[in-house]
Amino acid sequence: MILILKSIIGTCVIAFLGIFFGLIYKGIDRKLHAHMQMRVGPPITQPFKDVRKLLLKENLVPENAVNWVFNLMPILSLASVISILLYIPLGFDPILSTKGDLILILYLMMLPAICLILGGFASSSPYATVGGQREMVMMISYEFPLAVTIIAMVWRLSKIYTVSNVFTLQFISSNPLWDKVGVFGLIGLVILLGVLLVVTPIELSKIPFDVPEAETEIAGGLLVEYSGKNLAMFYMTDAVKTVVMASIVVALFFPYGISQYFDFSQYINYVIDFAFFLIKTFAVILVSVTIARTSFARLKIDQIAYMLWVPVTITSIIGLLLLYLDTVL
Amino acid sequence: MIGTLETGHGLWSALYWLLGLAVLSLIVYFIYSFGGKTVKASGDKGKPFLSGNEMVKEETHVKASNIYWGFTETLKSYYSPLKGGHTGNVNDYVSWFIVVLAIVLILAGGL
Repeated sequence: MILILKSIIGTCVIAFLGIFFGLIYKGIDRKLHAHMQMRVGPPITQPFKDVRKLLLKENLVPENAVNWVFNLMPILSLASVISILLYIPLGFDPILSTKGDLILILYLMMLPAICLILGGFASSSPYATVGGQREMVMMISYEFPLAVTIIAMVWRLSKIYTVSNVFTLQFISSNPLWDKVGVFGLIGLVILLGVLLVVTPIELSKIPFDVPEAETEIAGGLLVEYSGKNLAMFYMTDAVKTVVMASIVVALFFPYGISQYFDFSQYINYVIDFAFFLIKTFAVILVSVTIARTSFARLKIDQIAYMLWVPVTITSIIGLLLLYLDTVL
Repeated sequence: MIGTLETGHGLWSALYWLLGLAVLSLIVYFIYSFGGKTVKASGDKGKPFLSGNEMVKEETHVKASNIYWGFTETLKSYYSPLKGGHTGNVNDYVSWFIVVLAIVLILAGGL
Protein backbone atom coordinates (compact mmCIF):
# COMPACT_ATOMS: atom_id res chain seq x y z
CA MET A 1 0.00 0.00 0.00
CA ILE A 2 2.81 2.40 0.95
CA LEU A 3 4.65 1.39 -2.22
CA ILE A 4 1.61 2.24 -4.37
CA LEU A 5 1.13 5.54 -2.54
CA LYS A 6 4.82 6.40 -3.03
CA SER A 7 4.54 5.53 -6.74
CA ILE A 8 1.47 7.75 -7.17
CA ILE A 9 3.11 10.68 -5.35
CA GLY A 10 6.31 10.11 -7.34
CA THR A 11 4.31 10.13 -10.59
CA CYS A 12 2.65 13.43 -9.59
CA VAL A 13 6.07 14.95 -8.78
CA ILE A 14 7.52 13.75 -12.12
CA ALA A 15 4.50 15.20 -13.97
CA PHE A 16 5.01 18.54 -12.23
CA LEU A 17 8.78 18.58 -12.87
CA GLY A 18 8.35 17.55 -16.52
CA ILE A 19 5.79 20.24 -17.29
CA PHE A 20 7.45 22.95 -15.18
CA PHE A 21 10.98 22.53 -16.54
CA GLY A 22 9.67 21.85 -20.05
CA LEU A 23 7.96 25.25 -20.03
CA ILE A 24 10.99 26.93 -18.42
CA TYR A 25 13.27 25.49 -21.12
CA LYS A 26 10.79 26.63 -23.75
CA GLY A 27 10.95 30.15 -22.29
CA ILE A 28 14.77 30.16 -22.20
CA ASP A 29 14.89 28.78 -25.75
CA ARG A 30 12.61 31.56 -27.02
CA LYS A 31 14.60 34.21 -25.16
CA LEU A 32 17.96 32.99 -26.48
CA HIS A 33 16.55 32.52 -29.99
CA ALA A 34 15.36 36.14 -29.91
CA HIS A 35 18.73 37.43 -28.62
CA MET A 36 20.54 35.54 -31.37
CA GLN A 37 18.36 37.44 -33.84
CA MET A 38 19.07 40.77 -32.09
CA ARG A 39 15.56 40.90 -30.63
CA VAL A 40 14.53 41.35 -26.99
CA GLY A 41 12.15 38.40 -27.04
CA PRO A 42 9.42 37.41 -24.59
CA PRO A 43 10.09 36.90 -20.86
CA ILE A 44 11.19 33.43 -19.77
CA THR A 45 7.83 32.91 -18.07
CA GLN A 46 5.96 33.52 -21.35
CA PRO A 47 5.13 29.80 -21.95
CA PHE A 48 3.31 29.70 -18.58
CA LYS A 49 1.31 32.76 -19.63
CA ASP A 50 0.60 31.11 -23.00
CA VAL A 51 -0.76 27.99 -21.29
CA ARG A 52 -2.84 30.08 -18.89
CA LYS A 53 -4.29 32.09 -21.75
CA LEU A 54 -5.07 28.98 -23.79
CA LEU A 55 -6.84 27.45 -20.79
CA LEU A 56 -9.02 30.55 -20.53
CA LYS A 57 -10.01 30.41 -24.19
CA GLU A 58 -12.97 28.57 -25.68
CA ASN A 59 -12.17 25.09 -26.99
CA LEU A 60 -13.56 25.12 -30.54
CA VAL A 61 -14.28 21.83 -32.30
CA PRO A 62 -14.75 22.02 -36.09
CA GLU A 63 -18.11 20.96 -37.51
CA ASN A 64 -16.87 17.84 -39.31
CA ALA A 65 -14.33 16.78 -36.68
CA VAL A 66 -14.51 13.38 -34.99
CA ASN A 67 -15.25 14.75 -31.53
CA TRP A 68 -13.94 12.06 -29.21
CA VAL A 69 -10.67 11.55 -31.08
CA PHE A 70 -10.17 15.30 -31.49
CA ASN A 71 -10.60 15.91 -27.73
CA LEU A 72 -8.98 12.73 -26.39
CA MET A 73 -5.67 12.90 -28.29
CA PRO A 74 -4.29 16.05 -26.57
CA ILE A 75 -4.86 14.47 -23.12
CA LEU A 76 -3.41 11.10 -24.14
CA SER A 77 -0.49 12.82 -25.84
CA LEU A 78 0.56 14.73 -22.71
CA ALA A 79 -0.01 11.73 -20.40
CA SER A 80 2.01 9.40 -22.66
CA VAL A 81 4.96 11.77 -23.00
CA ILE A 82 5.16 12.26 -19.22
CA SER A 83 5.00 8.46 -18.79
CA ILE A 84 8.39 8.24 -20.56
CA LEU A 85 9.92 10.31 -17.76
CA LEU A 86 9.02 7.50 -15.33
CA TYR A 87 11.77 5.40 -16.97
CA ILE A 88 14.48 8.06 -17.34
CA PRO A 89 17.04 8.93 -14.64
CA LEU A 90 16.63 12.64 -13.84
CA GLY A 91 19.70 12.92 -11.65
CA PHE A 92 18.09 10.25 -9.42
CA ASP A 93 16.82 6.73 -10.11
CA PRO A 94 13.62 6.61 -12.18
CA ILE A 95 10.39 5.45 -10.54
CA LEU A 96 9.93 2.53 -12.97
CA SER A 97 13.64 1.78 -13.37
CA THR A 98 13.14 -1.97 -13.10
CA LYS A 99 9.90 -2.06 -15.11
CA GLY A 100 11.00 -1.00 -18.57
CA ASP A 101 14.04 -0.63 -20.80
CA LEU A 102 15.36 1.53 -23.61
CA ILE A 103 13.46 -0.38 -26.31
CA LEU A 104 10.23 0.46 -24.49
CA ILE A 105 11.26 4.14 -24.36
CA LEU A 106 12.01 4.02 -28.08
CA TYR A 107 8.44 2.89 -28.77
CA LEU A 108 6.83 5.16 -26.17
CA MET A 109 8.45 8.14 -27.88
CA MET A 110 6.27 7.42 -30.91
CA LEU A 111 3.03 7.74 -28.92
CA PRO A 112 2.83 11.58 -28.69
CA ALA A 113 3.49 11.83 -32.44
CA ILE A 114 0.79 9.24 -33.16
CA CYS A 115 -1.67 11.15 -30.93
CA LEU A 116 -0.83 14.33 -32.82
CA ILE A 117 -1.38 12.61 -36.19
CA LEU A 118 -4.71 11.07 -35.10
CA GLY A 119 -5.87 14.40 -33.67
CA GLY A 120 -4.89 16.15 -36.91
CA PHE A 121 -6.69 13.60 -39.09
CA ALA A 122 -9.76 13.85 -36.83
CA SER A 123 -9.95 17.63 -37.27
CA SER A 124 -11.20 17.39 -40.89
CA SER A 125 -8.73 20.00 -42.12
CA PRO A 126 -6.74 19.46 -45.35
CA TYR A 127 -3.81 21.34 -43.79
CA ALA A 128 -3.85 19.03 -40.78
CA THR A 129 -4.03 15.99 -43.07
CA VAL A 130 -0.95 17.17 -44.98
CA GLY A 131 0.79 17.85 -41.63
CA GLY A 132 -0.14 14.36 -40.40
CA GLN A 133 1.24 12.76 -43.54
CA ARG A 134 4.49 14.65 -43.14
CA GLU A 135 4.76 13.64 -39.50
CA MET A 136 4.35 9.99 -40.51
CA VAL A 137 7.07 10.29 -43.15
CA MET A 138 9.39 11.84 -40.57
CA MET A 139 8.59 9.11 -38.06
CA ILE A 140 9.43 6.25 -40.42
CA SER A 141 12.59 8.09 -41.42
CA TYR A 142 14.14 8.94 -38.04
CA GLU A 143 13.27 5.66 -36.31
CA PHE A 144 16.02 3.73 -38.10
CA PRO A 145 19.06 5.91 -37.29
CA LEU A 146 17.68 6.44 -33.76
CA ALA A 147 17.35 2.68 -33.24
CA VAL A 148 20.83 2.02 -34.71
CA THR A 149 22.37 4.59 -32.35
CA ILE A 150 20.71 3.20 -29.25
CA ILE A 151 21.17 -0.47 -30.10
CA ALA A 152 24.84 0.09 -31.01
CA MET A 153 25.57 1.60 -27.60
CA VAL A 154 23.73 -1.06 -25.65
CA TRP A 155 25.26 -3.85 -27.75
CA ARG A 156 28.73 -2.53 -26.93
CA LEU A 157 27.79 -2.36 -23.28
CA SER A 158 26.48 -5.95 -23.40
CA LYS A 159 29.95 -7.05 -24.57
CA ILE A 160 31.45 -5.64 -21.37
CA TYR A 161 28.80 -6.66 -18.83
CA THR A 162 26.88 -9.93 -18.85
CA VAL A 163 23.88 -8.82 -16.82
CA SER A 164 20.20 -9.27 -17.59
CA ASN A 165 19.21 -5.60 -17.38
CA VAL A 166 21.75 -4.08 -19.77
CA PHE A 167 18.99 -2.38 -21.79
CA THR A 168 17.59 -0.42 -18.84
CA LEU A 169 18.46 3.26 -18.87
CA GLN A 170 19.38 3.08 -15.20
CA PHE A 171 22.11 0.53 -15.97
CA ILE A 172 23.33 2.40 -19.05
CA SER A 173 23.60 5.68 -17.15
CA SER A 174 25.38 3.97 -14.22
CA ASN A 175 27.98 2.53 -16.61
CA PRO A 176 29.05 5.20 -19.10
CA LEU A 177 30.91 3.83 -22.11
CA TRP A 178 33.44 6.63 -22.63
CA ASP A 179 36.15 5.20 -20.37
CA LYS A 180 35.56 1.57 -21.35
CA VAL A 181 36.27 1.72 -25.08
CA GLY A 182 39.38 2.17 -27.20
CA VAL A 183 40.13 4.75 -29.90
CA PHE A 184 37.71 3.25 -32.45
CA GLY A 185 35.03 3.09 -29.79
CA LEU A 186 35.56 6.72 -28.83
CA ILE A 187 35.27 7.89 -32.44
CA GLY A 188 32.18 5.69 -32.83
CA LEU A 189 30.58 7.19 -29.72
CA VAL A 190 31.25 10.77 -30.90
CA ILE A 191 29.63 9.91 -34.25
CA LEU A 192 26.59 8.36 -32.54
CA LEU A 193 26.28 11.40 -30.27
CA GLY A 194 26.28 13.60 -33.40
CA VAL A 195 23.54 11.43 -34.94
CA LEU A 196 21.42 11.68 -31.79
CA LEU A 197 21.87 15.47 -31.69
CA VAL A 198 20.65 15.64 -35.31
CA VAL A 199 17.70 13.31 -34.67
CA THR A 200 16.62 15.31 -31.57
CA PRO A 201 15.18 18.38 -33.39
CA ILE A 202 13.58 16.04 -35.95
CA GLU A 203 11.88 14.04 -33.21
CA LEU A 204 10.72 17.35 -31.70
CA SER A 205 9.60 18.79 -35.08
CA LYS A 206 11.66 21.93 -34.55
CA ILE A 207 13.03 24.20 -37.27
CA PRO A 208 14.60 23.22 -39.70
CA PHE A 209 12.49 20.06 -39.42
CA ASP A 210 9.10 21.56 -38.54
CA VAL A 211 7.37 20.58 -41.79
CA PRO A 212 4.38 18.94 -40.03
CA GLU A 213 3.43 22.35 -38.59
CA ALA A 214 5.11 24.84 -40.95
CA GLU A 215 3.09 27.94 -39.95
CA THR A 216 4.07 29.98 -43.02
CA GLU A 217 3.18 27.17 -45.40
CA ILE A 218 0.31 25.08 -44.03
CA ALA A 219 -0.77 27.42 -41.23
CA GLY A 220 0.21 25.20 -38.31
CA GLY A 221 -0.57 21.90 -40.09
CA LEU A 222 -1.51 19.32 -37.52
CA LEU A 223 -2.51 21.96 -34.98
CA VAL A 224 -4.35 24.31 -37.33
CA GLU A 225 -7.82 23.52 -35.94
CA TYR A 226 -6.77 23.19 -32.31
CA SER A 227 -7.53 25.94 -29.83
CA GLY A 228 -8.09 26.50 -26.10
CA LYS A 229 -7.32 23.71 -23.66
CA ASN A 230 -6.69 21.12 -26.40
CA LEU A 231 -3.94 23.31 -27.86
CA ALA A 232 -2.60 23.92 -24.33
CA MET A 233 -2.18 20.14 -23.88
CA PHE A 234 -0.24 19.82 -27.15
CA TYR A 235 1.81 22.88 -26.20
CA MET A 236 2.81 21.21 -22.92
CA THR A 237 3.42 17.90 -24.73
CA ASP A 238 5.96 19.68 -26.91
CA ALA A 239 7.63 21.17 -23.81
CA VAL A 240 7.82 17.83 -21.97
CA LYS A 241 9.00 15.98 -25.10
CA THR A 242 11.94 18.38 -25.30
CA VAL A 243 12.91 17.44 -21.74
CA VAL A 244 12.48 13.74 -22.57
CA MET A 245 14.72 13.82 -25.64
CA ALA A 246 17.41 15.88 -23.91
CA SER A 247 17.25 13.56 -20.88
CA ILE A 248 17.79 10.50 -23.08
CA VAL A 249 20.87 12.11 -24.68
CA VAL A 250 22.18 12.99 -21.20
CA ALA A 251 21.46 9.51 -19.78
CA LEU A 252 23.18 7.80 -22.72
CA PHE A 253 26.21 10.05 -23.17
CA PHE A 254 26.63 12.34 -20.14
CA PRO A 255 25.30 10.45 -17.12
CA TYR A 256 27.96 11.74 -14.73
CA GLY A 257 26.99 13.36 -11.43
CA ILE A 258 28.96 15.80 -9.28
CA SER A 259 27.56 15.01 -5.83
CA GLN A 260 30.51 12.69 -5.04
CA TYR A 261 32.78 15.74 -4.95
CA PHE A 262 30.81 17.23 -2.06
CA ASP A 263 30.39 16.03 1.47
CA PHE A 264 26.70 16.68 2.03
CA SER A 265 23.80 14.56 3.20
CA GLN A 266 22.06 12.18 0.80
CA TYR A 267 19.10 14.49 0.12
CA ILE A 268 21.28 17.51 -0.65
CA ASN A 269 23.29 15.28 -2.99
CA TYR A 270 20.04 14.43 -4.82
CA VAL A 271 19.36 18.15 -5.25
CA ILE A 272 22.91 18.81 -6.49
CA ASP A 273 22.73 15.96 -9.02
CA PHE A 274 19.29 17.06 -10.18
CA ALA A 275 20.53 20.65 -10.64
CA PHE A 276 23.53 19.36 -12.60
CA PHE A 277 21.20 17.20 -14.67
CA LEU A 278 19.12 20.31 -15.51
CA ILE A 279 22.26 22.11 -16.68
CA LYS A 280 23.23 19.15 -18.89
CA THR A 281 19.76 18.89 -20.45
CA PHE A 282 19.81 22.62 -21.07
CA ALA A 283 23.17 22.28 -22.87
CA VAL A 284 21.67 19.58 -25.14
CA ILE A 285 18.59 21.72 -25.86
CA LEU A 286 20.80 24.73 -26.60
CA VAL A 287 22.80 22.82 -29.22
CA SER A 288 20.05 20.66 -30.71
CA VAL A 289 17.12 23.04 -30.61
CA THR A 290 18.00 26.71 -30.06
CA ILE A 291 21.16 27.03 -32.16
CA ALA A 292 19.81 24.66 -34.84
CA ARG A 293 16.52 26.54 -35.27
CA THR A 294 18.26 29.90 -35.32
CA SER A 295 20.87 28.85 -37.85
CA PHE A 296 18.87 27.00 -40.49
CA ALA A 297 15.80 27.53 -42.62
CA ARG A 298 13.05 24.94 -42.95
CA LEU A 299 13.81 21.93 -45.15
CA LYS A 300 11.28 20.27 -47.46
CA ILE A 301 9.85 16.92 -46.41
CA ASP A 302 11.63 15.00 -49.19
CA GLN A 303 14.92 16.67 -48.22
CA ILE A 304 14.39 15.58 -44.59
CA ALA A 305 13.53 12.02 -45.64
CA TYR A 306 16.64 11.90 -47.86
CA MET A 307 18.84 13.34 -45.12
CA LEU A 308 17.62 10.76 -42.63
CA TRP A 309 17.67 7.73 -44.91
CA VAL A 310 21.02 8.40 -46.56
CA PRO A 311 23.63 10.54 -44.72
CA VAL A 312 22.28 10.17 -41.16
CA THR A 313 21.61 6.43 -41.48
CA ILE A 314 25.01 5.81 -43.09
CA THR A 315 26.70 7.84 -40.35
CA SER A 316 24.93 5.87 -37.62
CA ILE A 317 25.97 2.58 -39.27
CA ILE A 318 29.59 3.84 -39.42
CA GLY A 319 29.33 4.56 -35.68
CA LEU A 320 28.00 1.03 -35.14
CA LEU A 321 30.84 -0.49 -37.22
CA LEU A 322 33.44 1.47 -35.27
CA LEU A 323 32.01 0.16 -32.01
CA TYR A 324 32.15 -3.35 -33.52
CA LEU A 325 35.79 -2.82 -34.56
CA ASP A 326 36.50 -1.71 -31.02
CA THR A 327 35.43 -5.13 -29.72
CA VAL A 328 37.38 -7.22 -32.27
CA LEU A 329 40.64 -5.23 -32.43
CA MET B 1 -2.10 -11.69 -14.91
CA ILE B 2 0.29 -9.59 -16.93
CA GLY B 3 3.83 -10.18 -15.69
CA THR B 4 7.17 -8.64 -16.59
CA LEU B 5 8.50 -9.60 -20.00
CA GLU B 6 12.20 -10.41 -19.65
CA THR B 7 14.27 -10.84 -22.79
CA GLY B 8 17.59 -11.63 -21.13
CA HIS B 9 18.91 -8.16 -21.91
CA GLY B 10 15.94 -5.97 -21.14
CA LEU B 11 12.52 -6.04 -19.57
CA TRP B 12 9.06 -4.52 -19.76
CA SER B 13 6.03 -4.66 -17.53
CA ALA B 14 2.92 -3.52 -19.40
CA LEU B 15 0.88 -3.42 -16.20
CA TYR B 16 3.09 -0.80 -14.51
CA TRP B 17 3.10 1.36 -17.62
CA LEU B 18 -0.70 1.19 -17.84
CA LEU B 19 -1.00 2.10 -14.15
CA GLY B 20 1.40 5.02 -14.63
CA LEU B 21 -0.51 6.15 -17.71
CA ALA B 22 -3.82 5.95 -15.82
CA VAL B 23 -2.49 8.13 -12.97
CA LEU B 24 -0.96 10.58 -15.44
CA SER B 25 -4.18 10.72 -17.48
CA LEU B 26 -6.03 11.72 -14.30
CA ILE B 27 -3.45 14.44 -13.55
CA VAL B 28 -3.60 15.74 -17.13
CA TYR B 29 -7.40 15.64 -17.10
CA PHE B 30 -7.32 17.62 -13.86
CA ILE B 31 -5.31 20.36 -15.60
CA TYR B 32 -7.54 20.02 -18.69
CA SER B 33 -10.67 20.57 -16.59
CA PHE B 34 -9.45 24.09 -15.74
CA GLY B 35 -9.79 24.98 -19.43
CA GLY B 36 -12.62 26.91 -21.06
CA LYS B 37 -15.79 25.20 -22.25
CA THR B 38 -15.82 23.04 -25.38
CA VAL B 39 -17.97 24.40 -28.20
CA LYS B 40 -18.96 22.50 -31.32
CA ALA B 41 -18.64 25.25 -33.90
CA SER B 42 -21.13 25.47 -36.75
CA GLY B 43 -21.57 27.55 -39.88
CA ASP B 44 -18.52 29.46 -41.13
CA LYS B 45 -16.87 29.17 -37.72
CA GLY B 46 -17.03 25.39 -37.90
CA LYS B 47 -15.36 25.11 -41.28
CA PRO B 48 -11.66 24.20 -41.40
CA PHE B 49 -9.25 27.11 -41.96
CA LEU B 50 -8.19 27.19 -45.60
CA SER B 51 -6.47 30.57 -45.98
CA GLY B 52 -9.68 32.18 -47.25
CA ASN B 53 -10.21 29.66 -50.06
CA GLU B 54 -13.63 28.18 -50.68
CA MET B 55 -14.01 24.82 -48.92
CA VAL B 56 -15.28 22.24 -51.40
CA LYS B 57 -14.97 18.87 -49.72
CA GLU B 58 -14.27 16.88 -52.90
CA GLU B 59 -11.63 19.32 -54.13
CA THR B 60 -9.83 19.78 -50.83
CA HIS B 61 -9.70 16.09 -49.98
CA VAL B 62 -6.11 14.90 -49.56
CA LYS B 63 -5.85 11.52 -51.26
CA ALA B 64 -4.46 8.51 -49.38
CA SER B 65 -1.98 8.06 -52.25
CA ASN B 66 -0.25 11.23 -51.01
CA ILE B 67 0.40 9.78 -47.57
CA TYR B 68 4.04 8.85 -48.04
CA TRP B 69 4.85 11.39 -50.75
CA GLY B 70 8.08 12.70 -49.17
CA PHE B 71 9.23 9.17 -48.56
CA THR B 72 8.49 7.77 -52.04
CA GLU B 73 9.87 10.93 -53.68
CA THR B 74 13.17 10.50 -51.83
CA LEU B 75 13.47 6.80 -52.58
CA LYS B 76 12.06 6.92 -56.12
CA SER B 77 15.25 5.46 -57.58
CA TYR B 78 14.41 2.41 -55.46
CA TYR B 79 10.64 2.42 -56.02
CA SER B 80 10.66 3.06 -59.80
CA PRO B 81 12.19 -0.33 -60.76
CA LEU B 82 9.83 -2.01 -58.30
CA LYS B 83 6.84 -0.30 -59.91
CA GLY B 84 8.10 -1.55 -63.29
CA GLY B 85 7.88 -5.08 -61.92
CA HIS B 86 4.17 -4.64 -61.20
CA THR B 87 2.97 -5.51 -64.69
CA GLY B 88 -0.46 -6.80 -63.65
CA ASN B 89 0.35 -10.12 -65.36
CA VAL B 90 -0.07 -13.07 -63.01
CA ASN B 91 2.60 -15.07 -64.89
CA ASP B 92 5.17 -12.39 -63.95
CA TYR B 93 4.12 -12.49 -60.29
CA VAL B 94 4.41 -16.29 -60.16
CA SER B 95 7.85 -16.03 -61.81
CA TRP B 96 8.96 -13.54 -59.14
CA PHE B 97 7.60 -15.84 -56.46
CA ILE B 98 9.57 -18.82 -57.80
CA VAL B 99 12.79 -16.79 -58.16
CA VAL B 100 12.54 -15.37 -54.61
CA LEU B 101 11.60 -18.78 -53.19
CA ALA B 102 14.63 -20.33 -54.94
CA ILE B 103 16.94 -17.67 -53.45
CA VAL B 104 15.46 -18.16 -49.97
CA LEU B 105 15.83 -21.95 -50.22
CA ILE B 106 19.44 -21.62 -51.36
CA LEU B 107 20.21 -19.20 -48.53
CA ALA B 108 18.34 -21.29 -45.94
CA GLY B 109 19.95 -24.53 -47.14
CA GLY B 110 23.42 -23.05 -47.28
CA LEU B 111 25.49 -22.71 -50.41
